[in-house]
Amino acid sequence: MANHARELAESALRDRKLDRTLTTALPPLERVDAAALAATAVTPLDATLRGGLPRGQLSEVVGARSSGRTTLVLQCLAAATARGEIAALIDTCDRLDVATALAAGVDLDRLLWVRGQGSERTAQSAQATVERAVDRALKALNLVLQAGGFGVVAIDLVDVAPAVLRRLPFTTWMRVQRAIEGSDTACVLLASEPLARSAGGLTLSLAGRASWTGAACRSWRLERLEIATRVISPRRRVDGEVTVGALAIDER
Amino acid sequence: MERSRWERSRSTNDEDPPMHDVFGAIYAADDRFSAALIEIAREFSPRLAIHSAREVVLDLAGLTRLFGKTQTIAEELRRTAAARGVQVRVAIAGTRTAAQILVRHRAGLTVIAPGAEADALAPLPLDLLVDLFPTPPSPRLRRAGAPNDPNDPNDPNVLVRTLKQWGLRTLGALAALPSDELVARLGQPAGRWQRVARGEDPLPLVPSVPEERFEQALDLEWPIEGLEPLSFVLSRLLDPLSAHLERRDRGAAVLHVRLHLVTREVHERSLQLPIAMREARTLRTLILLDLESHPPPAAIDRVVVAVDPTPGRVVQFSLLTRPVPSPEQVSTLMARLQALMGETRCGSPVVVDSWEPGAFAMKPFTPVETASPVLRSGGLVASLRRFRIPIIAHVQAEGGKPARVLTDRRELPGGRVESCAGPWRTSGQWWLDDARERHDGTREMWDRDEWDVTLADGGTYRIFRERRAGKWFVEGVVD
Repeated sequence: MANHARELAESALRDRKLDRTLTTALPPLERVDAAALAATAVTPLDATLRGGLPRGQLSEVVGARSSGRTTLVLQCLAAATARGEIAALIDTCDRLDVATALAAGVDLDRLLWVRGQGSERTAQSAQATVERAVDRALKALNLVLQAGGFGVVAIDLVDVAPAVLRRLPFTTWMRVQRAIEGSDTACVLLASEPLARSAGGLTLSLAGRASWTGAACRSWRLERLEIATRVISPRRRVDGEVTVGALAIDER
Repeated sequence: MERSRWERSRSTNDEDPPMHDVFGAIYAADDRFSAALIEIAREFSPRLAIHSAREVVLDLAGLTRLFGKTQTIAEELRRTAAARGVQVRVAIAGTRTAAQILVRHRAGLTVIAPGAEADALAPLPLDLLVDLFPTPPSPRLRRAGAPNDPNDPNDPNVLVRTLKQWGLRTLGALAALPSDELVARLGQPAGRWQRVARGEDPLPLVPSVPEERFEQALDLEWPIEGLEPLSFVLSRLLDPLSAHLERRDRGAAVLHVRLHLVTREVHERSLQLPIAMREARTLRTLILLDLESHPPPAAIDRVVVAVDPTPGRVVQFSLLTRPVPSPEQVSTLMARLQALMGETRCGSPVVVDSWEPGAFAMKPFTPVETASPVLRSGGLVASLRRFRIPIIAHVQAEGGKPARVLTDRRELPGGRVESCAGPWRTSGQWWLDDARERHDGTREMWDRDEWDVTLADGGTYRIFRERRAGKWFVEGVVD
């Protein structure tokens, strides 16, 4: 009975040419080669992901505050620029700290940074302003994806209120998915909670814990951020959990 | 070979014989007549070389069919110049070198029969060589910023000085020296100067090409409003302009658009292109995107598109490097993004040489292919999400340490401090005038104590206390 209902649903999707969203329409895992993956250059994570984030797919990095979301995305951008690719960051709320991006290894000459309005202004103004900022960021994302040639394109929606994000039509992410299908671009969505739930992409759900060190009060300092990553993928093609540590770089 | 053919023809015809090479040199009395001089020269021959503001050399081959004798050509040149109010000297000879030397030395008209150049030059002083082809300083000396080498064999001053020490005074005396002996003593440059003294051309004439204008204009029968009809007009202008640039192997460095409005005003825009480009579609898109953000205030009745040309771009693609989007694609993308987000909000970040927290600059995004990617080793680095304008915080301190952090922001409520480290004191720009303030109210100078804190909500933040005002701020989130 369940199988019959599923077949009916799948045939209805095929009729509307929406069958690309079906997990059963995905190619078998064995046919995926290394060139179709964008490695993150974090060895344990790449091992869990069986090579890296899939190109031509929309993946997500989600988690709470200080869970290491930005760290991981900057690492993806750094790995892309180190491979000689160009990368783009659509920074909806203008949160990038250039010094830490450089410390993470991002080749700044190969990074296109699109800065949205900082939420310092938008949060205090009308909600329509925030919605307009998100709308512009999504338009910028589409422009960058349609231009092509980028190895990794990330959009940062972390500081946008969940209520605003929930009002976005779900077709937004399908359009993004369509724009990168068949391309060499790995699109990464950075948010507090899963939004796109792409059939072909991965969702990395992060949880972080700050680790402090120091014997005395004077030497007490933030040492590292322990990032626990849970990989969620359609049909459990890639699955697992991994914990990595991110060193706190003190430029002071 | 040329000489023997000329001698054969002279023996069979008493009239002015047909010549293969006839060069004329015109020398104006004043620098002010430079434009008129070139205009007169172009009326006689399209092949001309402009040597200075006062001197033009023309290739007059074939003009004897039109004017008859070379003497007539010379007279016609002088008559035309006089009619324009320009006083000139004219010299005609079988080589341009001879014509050039003679026009500098003799006033009025000088016509030398072909083959008699060496004889005509023989009595002239050696000093004429010095001004004829002034030697530029060698690249090595130019880089070093040093003056000319006083013993440079290529410098005619050095040669003339040596020859005068030998007792030579005229070009004829130099021409009469045995060439091999001269070269053995003074080197190859002396041989070249000897050929000049004999009236032989060291190099063929390289015609000066008139400056081309890359401009297209269209007068409209009816004024147009809006960008959509304008895009069709631009296509009509840019297609021939692009073809013209391609024919000349040129690209556009700067694109000028002048829109003459019905209000008699001119709406002018100039687009500085990152690289030389000439694809009509790309240029049209760039103009339209620029006009989207800077629209004309009234309807348009005349459109002019002009280009500052620059040599075309030669690109060698490689199979060994990862391709990046073409500069045309990047330019179009950047123009679209700037129209959407604002001109200063797209590009590549640049770290600036400053201790100011969060200091950065932006530069245009111009990626290049790299042959050898830089592979970075090392682990993850915890990143900071920086609030461009720090958020005001209310901090309760216990024992000199933050114990509770609260803000007025709903998405950043704060809470009890679980762990903290600090303070790190940092200050700068305190030597500047206090009156200098940014538009958002924060001063250029800073003097602060920074803390890293982990709150009860699990978030790790960087907060600081502004020492002058005694206020606390949240600078960013470690994420």
